Amino acid sequence: MEGVSSSSTRPKRPAPLAGKPKGAALKDREAARRALAASARTRNNQRRRLVTVLAPIGAVLAVLAILVVVRATTSQDHAGKKTRAAAATVIAQVTGVPVAAFEAAGAPAKRSDTITATGGGALTDNGKARVLYVGAEYCPFCATERWPLIVALSRFGSWQGLKYSYSASSPEVFPDTSTFTFHGATYTSRYVSFTGVETATNRQVNGSYEPLDQLGADDGAIMKQYDPQGSIPFTDLGGRWVINGATYDPSVIHGRTHAEIAATLDKPGTASGKAIDSAANVLTAAICQSTGGQPVAVCTSPSVVAAGKTLP
Amino acid sequence: MTASTARVSRVELTTLVLALVALGVSIYLTVEHYAAPNSLACPDTGAINCTKVTTSTWSEVGPVPLALLGALYFAAMSALCVPAAWRVTALDRVRVIGAAGGVATALYLVWVELFQVEAICLWCTVVHVASLALLVAVLWRVTGREPA
Repeated sequence: MEGVSSSSTRPKRPAPLAGKPKGAALKDREAARRALAASARTRNNQRRRLVTVLAPIGAVLAVLAILVVVRATTSQDHAGKKTRAAAATVIAQVTGVPVAAFEAAGAPAKRSDTITATGGGALTDNGKARVLYVGAEYCPFCATERWPLIVALSRFGSWQGLKYSYSASSPEVFPDTSTFTFHGATYTSRYVSFTGVETATNRQVNGSYEPLDQLGADDGAIMKQYDPQGSIPFTDLGGRWVINGATYDPSVIHGRTHAEIAATLDKPGTASGKAIDSAANVLTAAICQSTGGQPVAVCTSPSVVAAGKTLP
Repeated sequence: MTASTARVSRVELTTLVLALVALGVSIYLTVEHYAAPNSLACPDTGAINCTKVTTSTWSEVGPVPLALLGALYFAAMSALCVPAAWRVTALDRVRVIGAAGGVATALYLVWVELFQVEAICLWCTVVHVASLALLVAVLWRVTGREPA
C-alpha cells in the first residue's frame, strides 16, 4: 500500500559499542534515535491518514445500514398487505392539491361511463349532502377510486386517520395497487357528510377476504337500488349521481408507491396527476350540485364548471 | 520514475477509472431515459426494478433527468482525476468536496429508492458504489501528499 512503512525502512537498533571509537558510537546512537522518531512520526501520519479516509466511509456505511434495517422492518407491513400509518407529507399532498393543479387538469379527456344520474331524490344527512362509498380493501378499482374521492372531498372538508392500504395481490388484477382505506378514517365538513364502508380486508382466510365494516340496512337498500349486482366500488354522490366502478384507468397508478402517486398530484402534466385531478374535478362538480354550489370558490372554479359539463 | 511515484500513480489512475465507470453508466442511463426508458438491461424481481426507479417521479429534476446530471458530474470528476489535474494540488479541495458531494447525493438517492420508489436500480447501485470508492481513493491520495 502506498506510503505504508515497511521493514526496509524500519530503523535498526544501535550497534554494540565494542570495537568502535566512542565518538562514532555516539553518532550511531543519535542517528538511531532520529530514525526511531521519524518512524514514530510516519506511523502517526499513517494512522491519521487511515482515520481520515475510514471515518467518512464508516459514517456512510452506518447510514446505509440504518436505511436498510428501517426499510426491512417496514417492508414487512407491505409484504403482509397490512394497513399502515400514512406519511404526513403524502397526506398533505393528497388533501392539499393546489388550485392551479385542478385548473390545469380541467375535465377528463374522456367522459367516464361509470357515472350515471339517478333521477332520484337527494341523499342528505342532517341537512348536509351525503356521499356514500361502498368498497373493499382487496378491490383494485376501489383502490383506484379512493384517490380522486379523497382529493375531491378535501375541497369540502378535512380528513383524519387515513392510512395506507393496498389492493389484493396477484392473481387479482392490478395487484397491490397503492391506496388508502376508509376503515378507521373520519371526515369532517360543513357541507358534506361522508360514509365510507370497507366491507372486507385484503387478506384471505379460508379462501375469502376477511369481513371488515358492516353495510347498514339503509345504505344496503340504496346500493341495491342503483347497483343491483352489488359490484364495488359503489359511490353515491348526494343521491343525484352514482358511480359503479372507477372513473379513470387503474393502470395509470398501478405499480407506483403512495409517495410517488401523491407527488404527481400537483403536476397535471403527468399521467396520474392529470387522471386523478380531473376525476376529482368531476366528483367535485357532482357534489357541488348537492351542496347548493357551496363552497362558492370551489364550485364556481372554471375546472369544476368544465368538469360538470361532462356529467351525463 | 520512483517506486513511490508509481504507487501514487496507481491511486490516481484508480480515481480516473472509477469516475469513468460511473460516467459510462450515467451516459447509458441518460440515453435509455430519452430513447427507450422501459428497455433497461436489468432484472425485474420486485425489489430490483431499474425501470421503476428510472421512470419514477424522482428520476428528474424539473425537465432534466438525474442520469444526465450524473453524467455531467462524473465528466467533471473525470477531468479532475486525470493525472495532469492531480499535479495541481490546489484542486485537492475541489476533488474532496466533489467526491463527498457525490456520496451525499448517492445516500439521498438510496433513500429515495428504498422509501419512495420501493425498488432498487442495479445500474444506479453501480454508480453509488463507484462514488463511494471514488471518495475513498481521493481521500487516500490527498492525505498521502507531502505537506507543502
